[in-house]
Amino acid sequence: MPDIPAGGPPRVPIEFGSLEWKEEVERYDPRSPARTRAQSARKAIEAGTAKLDWKRCKADGPGGTKLPGCRKLYVPLGKQGASQAPYGLVFQLIQKADDSLAWSLIAFGERHPANERTRNVYERAHKRLHGRYP
Amino acid sequence: MATAVKRLDLTVGEFVEVAGRRYEVVPDREGGVTIEPPITPAAELHARRGTKPASAEDFERLSVDVPFDDEG
Repeated sequence: MPDIPAGGPPRVPIEFGSLEWKEEVERYDPRSPARTRAQSARKAIEAGTAKLDWKRCKADGPGGTKLPGCRKLYVPLGKQGASQAPYGLVFQLIQKADDSLAWSLIAFGERHPANERTRNVYERAHKRLHGRYP
Repeated sequence: MATAVKRLDLTVGEFVEVAGRRYEVVPDREGGVTIEPPITPAAELHARRGTKPASAEDFERLSVDVPFDDEG
């Protein structure tokens, strides 16, 4: 599905790997708000009907997270504040064997968990990239 | 009847299987450890799929106009 409309930089597809989807989204109860909102976001992204308000991730972020080469979308799509969009999808820009590029899902979760024991989406993304929590 | 407690000597990075499900031993936020469903490392996924992280140049070319926020 298109990343940026015509006239902008080259379009880059967005991919949801089945294993990443299972580990990140399907860890939630099927009826949970987190899972249903992630599913809705994916559906809109794949249909190309959503305006995607991308944000860059930081190479050196709060809490020691290091997410170079990554972008994120708040969920629900189109919402901004943490109360309106409590979840996030993090994607890494990848290069495939045929040299094409894609945004590949690496993490989904809460941006600011109320439970201090819960890892936020940036910590989960860091762990996927670096193999351990920051 | 007293319940027997199974004592486990677990180290961060190890994997355990409980009732047929695999979990990874990870640090908690209080100096101890806990277990959680594993997060497959990107490096492992790249190796399986023949992909790799894109270059910093490609990322900057595509993201030059994309804003940061005050999060991660």
